[in-house]
Amino acid sequence: MENGVITAGLEKYFNPETTEEVKVTEGTHAASYAVGLARVKVISAYPITPQTSIVEKLSEMCASGEIDAEFIKVESEHSAMACVIGSESTGARSFTATSSQGLALMHEELHWAAGARLPVVMVNVNRALGAPWNIWADQSDSLAQRDTGWVQLYAESNQEVLDMVLQAYRLAEEIMLPVMVNMDAFFLSHTTEPVAIPKQHLVDQFLPGYNPKFKMDIKDPRAFGGLATPDRYMELRYNIQKSMEGALDLIPKIADEYDAIIKRHHGGLVEEYLTEDAEYLLVTSGTITGTSRIVVDAFRNKGIKVGLLKMRVFRPFPVKVVQESAGRAKKIAVIDRNISFGQSGIFFNELKSALYNLETRPLINGYVAGLGGRDVTPSTIEKVINHLIAAEKGEDLIWMELNYESDEI
Amino acid sequence: MKKNALDFKEGMPVSAMSITDMSKNKTGSWRYMRPYYQNKTAPCIKGCPTGEKIPDYFDKVKAGKFEEAWHIILEDNPLPGVCGRVCYHPCEGACNRKDLDSPIAINNMERFVADQNMANGYPKHFHVEKTEMKIAIIGSGPAGLSAAYQLARKGHAVTIYESLAQPGGMLQMGIPKYRLPREVLKKEIKDIQTLGVKIKTKCTVGKDISWQNLQMSYDAVLIATGAIKSRPLNIPGEEKKGIAPGLQFLREFNLDDKKEIKRKVVVVGGGNTAIDCARSAVRLGADVTIVYRRSHKEMPAVPEEIEEAEAEGVKINYLTNPVEFIGDSRVRKIRLIRMELGEPDDDGRRRSVEVQGSEFEIEADQVMLAIGEIPALDFLPDSINAQWGRVDVDSFQMTNNRGVFACGDSANGPIGTVVDAIATGKNSAFTIDAFLNDKSYHFINNNNVVGFDKINLDYFHKEERPAEARSDQTKLTNNFSEVNLGLDKDQAKNEAERCFSCGYCTTCDTCLVFCPDVAITHSDNGAPYTINYDYCKGCGICVYECPRDAMAFEEEIKWKTE
Amino acid sequence: MSQMKFEIPKIELMKSGHVACPGCGASMAMRYALKALGQNTMIVIPACCWAIIDGPSPCSVNGVPVFHTAFETAAITATGIKAGLSRQGDNDTTVMAWAGDGGTFDIGLQALSGAAERNEDIIYVCYDNEAYMNTGIQRSSATPWGAWTTTTPTKTPKSRPKKNIIDILLAHHIPYVATASVAYPDDFIRKMKKAKSIRGMKFIQILSPCPPGWKSAPEQSVHISRLAVNSKVFPLYEVEDGYRYKISLNHKNIPVEEYLKHQGRFKHLSKEQIKQIQVDTDTKWEVLMKKVEMGELFSEN
Repeated sequence: MENGVITAGLEKYFNPETTEEVKVTEGTHAASYAVGLARVKVISAYPITPQTSIVEKLSEMCASGEIDAEFIKVESEHSAMACVIGSESTGARSFTATSSQGLALMHEELHWAAGARLPVVMVNVNRALGAPWNIWADQSDSLAQRDTGWVQLYAESNQEVLDMVLQAYRLAEEIMLPVMVNMDAFFLSHTTEPVAIPKQHLVDQFLPGYNPKFKMDIKDPRAFGGLATPDRYMELRYNIQKSMEGALDLIPKIADEYDAIIKRHHGGLVEEYLTEDAEYLLVTSGTITGTSRIVVDAFRNKGIKVGLLKMRVFRPFPVKVVQESAGRAKKIAVIDRNISFGQSGIFFNELKSALYNLETRPLINGYVAGLGGRDVTPSTIEKVINHLIAAEKGEDLIWMELNYESDEI
Repeated sequence: MKKNALDFKEGMPVSAMSITDMSKNKTGSWRYMRPYYQNKTAPCIKGCPTGEKIPDYFDKVKAGKFEEAWHIILEDNPLPGVCGRVCYHPCEGACNRKDLDSPIAINNMERFVADQNMANGYPKHFHVEKTEMKIAIIGSGPAGLSAAYQLARKGHAVTIYESLAQPGGMLQMGIPKYRLPREVLKKEIKDIQTLGVKIKTKCTVGKDISWQNLQMSYDAVLIATGAIKSRPLNIPGEEKKGIAPGLQFLREFNLDDKKEIKRKVVVVGGGNTAIDCARSAVRLGADVTIVYRRSHKEMPAVPEEIEEAEAEGVKINYLTNPVEFIGDSRVRKIRLIRMELGEPDDDGRRRSVEVQGSEFEIEADQVMLAIGEIPALDFLPDSINAQWGRVDVDSFQMTNNRGVFACGDSANGPIGTVVDAIATGKNSAFTIDAFLNDKSYHFINNNNVVGFDKINLDYFHKEERPAEARSDQTKLTNNFSEVNLGLDKDQAKNEAERCFSCGYCTTCDTCLVFCPDVAITHSDNGAPYTINYDYCKGCGICVYECPRDAMAFEEEIKWKTE
Repeated sequence: MSQMKFEIPKIELMKSGHVACPGCGASMAMRYALKALGQNTMIVIPACCWAIIDGPSPCSVNGVPVFHTAFETAAITATGIKAGLSRQGDNDTTVMAWAGDGGTFDIGLQALSGAAERNEDIIYVCYDNEAYMNTGIQRSSATPWGAWTTTTPTKTPKSRPKKNIIDILLAHHIPYVATASVAYPDDFIRKMKKAKSIRGMKFIQILSPCPPGWKSAPEQSVHISRLAVNSKVFPLYEVEDGYRYKISLNHKNIPVEEYLKHQGRFKHLSKEQIKQIQVDTDTKWEVLMKKVEMGELFSEN
C-alpha cells in the first residue's frame, strides 16, 4: 500500500466512494487532517510532546495554503485555550491540541470555555503528568479535567481520531459545549496506520459552516460572561447539565449520520464487542481496547463467554448504556490506564457508580494497568480476565504487573 | 437539526449574556452630596458700581456677538463709550486674574463693545409702554443721564434741565477731548434722547424755572447737579490774577474753546481734574508742574493717567503744599512747604503734615486749583436737608422731601467719579419708579463673590493683558486727538477668552467631559447643562474641576428636606 | 490660548448606571476610550474592577460587544477575537483588551508579552490603579514604592519600586506604546485614535485614580491625575516603533509632595521618604529625556 491510492484489498476497510485517499499516517497527523477537513478558521497551540506533530503538520498545512486558517503560536497552553475561546466567541470554528502538563495548565480555561458555551474542539494526547517527567501514555491528564464541562471522547485508532474530530465539531456546535478528543500517547500519536481521508464535499455535507445565533458582533452588541449573581448562576449550571445530557442522544445520532454520509461507524457512546451473551465483561478505553479484542477472541475460542465494552465517551457518562450492556454480565473487569489517588481507576469508579442503582448488580473489579506508558500486552489482559473469573467478591483496585512484591498480579 | 443551546428560555438567555443596559440601576441613590449649577458674582461685577454683567457680555464678545454684548452693558449703563474711556475701572482692581498675571482690560473691553456699536441704535424692546408719570431731573451729567435713561426705559416721561448750552455735565465741560472725543458723548446722549428723554439746555433751575414750579409740574424731581464749585485753598494771595479753579479752565477750554495759557503753569491737587488740567495745559504749550501734598501712592487720579501725564512732561511735586501766592496783582511765585505723611485719616489715606521750616518757592505764571469740587445748591429750598454741602438722601436716594431725590456728586454718598454718578443715577431711577408705583424696592446684593482661591488654575495659562495702542503723541502742542485707541477685534476676543468668567458658566464642558457617570448632558431648556440625578453619584468632580466656580455642592439631605 | 478647551467626540457608548465607585478613574477612562474608538469596537475584560463595573449579566453598560475573560488572558483572548473576526473577513473592528494593573503587570504579563512579541493587531489598555483594588487594595507590582495597601501595611509599606511596564513593552519592538491620563482627555483620545489607526500591537497605560484604594477624595480624581502628570510621577508620552519618543505636553515642575499629599496611602511617609521619591522621580525623568534625545538621534539617521 502506498500513500494516495487505495491498494487492492483495502476496499473492504476503506470505502472508495467516500474516500479521497488513504494515508499511512500517525494519529497526530490524522487529527491535523481532520482539522483541515473541518475548515477550521483559527488554530492556536503550544508545543508539548507528544502533541507536537499535530501542530507541526497544521503549520505546514497553513503555510502551503492547504487550509485557510490563522494559526496563532502562543506562549502557553493557557493562552492557547484563551485564544480559541476568543476566536470561537466571534463564531469562528477553532481548534487546539495539547497533552498532559499543557492540559493541566489549561484547567482554568477549560472551565471558561464550557461556562461561556463555546464549541471549541481540542485533541488531547493522553500523557502522564509529572513529577517525575514522563511523556508516555496515561489518561490521568484528561480524566483530571472531568468536571470542567467538556465532553470527553476516547479514540482507539488513528482512523477513529480523524472521524471523531469531525463528529466532535458537529456535537460541540449543537450543544454549545467544548469537546475533547483523546488519543493515547505514542500508541496512537506516533504510530502509523492507514487512515482514509474522506472527500471534502462529503465532510462539508456532514459538517456545514458554523454560524451561532449569538456571538461577538458589532451589529448586535452584547456582553458575554458578565457577573452572574447567586440568583442566576445555578440556572446557568443547570443549562450546561441539560446540554450534556442532550449529548447522550446526539452522539449516536451524529455517528449514524456520519456513517450515512462517510460510510464509517466506530460506535456511538460505546462500542460493544460480543457483549450480548457475555458472562465476563471487559471494559476498556483507548488503545487497550484493540489489544483486548484479540484476548477476548482467544477466550471465546476456549468457550469462555467474555465480551468487550469499549468506552468512547467519558463525559457525559453514558449511564443508561452501561447499565444495559454491563448489567447483563455476571462479572465485570474495568481496566484503567489512570488512577485517582486515594480511590481507584477512574473509569472503574464511574462504572461502578452507574451500576449501583440496578436491582441485581454484577461483581465488578477495577484494574489499573499501563500507567506512564507501560505496555499492556495480551498477557496482561489475559491475567485480568483470569483474575476476574476466579474472583468471589469485587475488588476496587488491583494493580497490574507492579514491579513490587506486593498485592499485584 | 441545528438547535442552538444558546437560546432564550423564559426571556433569559441560556448563557450569561447581556440583553439590556444598566439604565435600571439608578446610581443616583448612592449620592449624599448633590452638585448643581450656581452662577455666582464675579468680583468685577461687585467692583463695578453700576454692576455691569461683565462675564456675561464677555461671553458674547467671544462669540463675536458685539451687539448682544452692548445690550448687556446697556442694562446697567447707557454710557459705555464714555465709561470705556474715562472710568477709573474699579472692576479691574477687583479682577481675580490680577493674582495670576494681569487683570483683564475690562475698561477697554467696554470701550470696544461701545465702539463696535457706534452706528447702532437701541433695540426695539427698549421702547416700552409709556406711563403717565413725569419726572424732572436737574443736571445732564452722568448721574442725570443714567437716571433719565433708566426711567425712560420704564416708560416714564423724563425732562432734564441743564443750565449749560450742551448736555453732559462734567463729561462735556471737564474731561479733555484727548480722553473723550465728543462724538462718543454726543452719540450716547443722542441714544438716550431717542428713548423720549427731553433735555432743556440753558435752563437754570431757580432762574429760568422756579423750584416750586418744578415740584408742582412733576411727579418726582431728581437733583443731579454734580459738584462743580471748586474748593478754595484759603491761603494768602489766592485772589491774585492768574489763579483760578482748574475746572473753570477746563470748562472755558472745552466749551468755549478758550486757549489762553501762560508759560509756567502750576496745578494744585492730585485728582483727575488736576491731571486733566495739567495735560490740557501741556497741549497748549505750557510748562506744567503739579503740586500735591501727599505721595504718589495716595494720589487719587487714575494711575495710568498719572503715568501718561509724566510721560508728556508734566512734573509732579509730591509732598508739597502751597502756603502763599506771591506777586503784585498777578501771581509770580508760589511759596510751598514740604509735607510728610502721618497717621491715616478717616478715608484711610495718610494725613499729610507740614515739615516745619521747609518752605521754598517756585515760579508760577498761572495757577489752577484742583483740590476738589463741591455741589452748588443755591437753588434748593431750605426745606431740603443738606449736609457738608451735599443733599442728604436715604439709602433710596430720597431727600427728606417726599418725591424729591438726589444722586451723583450733589448727594451724599460716593463722590467724584463718573461711574459712581451713573450708579447712583441708576439706583435713583429704580427707587423713583418704585416710589411712583408705590412699591417697595430691594437692591440686588451681590454677596456670593468668587475669590481667587476658587479659580481652578489648572485650566488657565499665564498670559499678559494686551498693550493698548496709542495715537502718536510726539507732537503734543495743540494735539487733542484721542490718546488711547482701545483694542482691536482679535485683542478683544482674546481678552474675553482670557477672562476667568468667575462664577459664571461659559459652557466650557469641563463638567460634562469629566463626569464618570455620563450624568451631565447639554440642556435643551435654556440652562447650559442638565445633571441627571438618577445616575449622578455625587462624586463632585464636576464641582471641583469647574474652572470658574460656577457650580455648588450641597448635602443631599438639605435638598430632600427642602 | 489662556484656557483649556476640550475637543471631545460627542458619541457616548458607555452609558450611565455602571457600578464604579464615585470618582472612579477607570470609568472615565472607558468613556474616553469608547469615544475615541467608536461603535466598531470590541472589548475584552479580564478579572478587574471593570469586570464588575460593566454590570452583572444580563446587563452591560457599554454599547459595544464585551467579552469577559479570565484574569491572565486579556491579551490573548483579544488576539483570538481579532483572529476570529479577520478570518471571517472583518479586518476593521478594533479589538481592545482592557485590563487593570494586576492583569497586566502581574498575572497577565505572560500573555501580554506573547501578544506583543507576535505583534497582534489589538489595542491593549492597562488602566493602572496601582494595586488589586477589586479584591480590596492588595499590592501589585504596579504599586509604587512606599505606598500603603492592605498587604503592605504602613509599618512595612511597599519596599520595591513600581515595575516599568512601558519599558517591558518597548522591549518587544511594538509599533505604539503610550501613557495617558484621565486628566487630559484630549490627549487620551488622540492617543486612542492613533492606536486605532496603527496595525499591530498597541499598548496604552492609563494612570487611573481610585478614591477608595488611594484614600483620596472622589472629587479630586482628575486633580490628582493632573498632579501625577505634572509632578512627573506619571509623565505623558508616546513611543513609536520602539524608539521614537515624544513627550505629550509641557509638564509643569510640581513637587511630588503635591501629588502625594492628597492620598491617604502615602500619608505615613516621612519628609526623607518623600525626598527619596522626589529624587527617584527626577532621575526617571532625566532618563526619559535621554531616551527622547536618543530617539531623535536615531530618527535623523
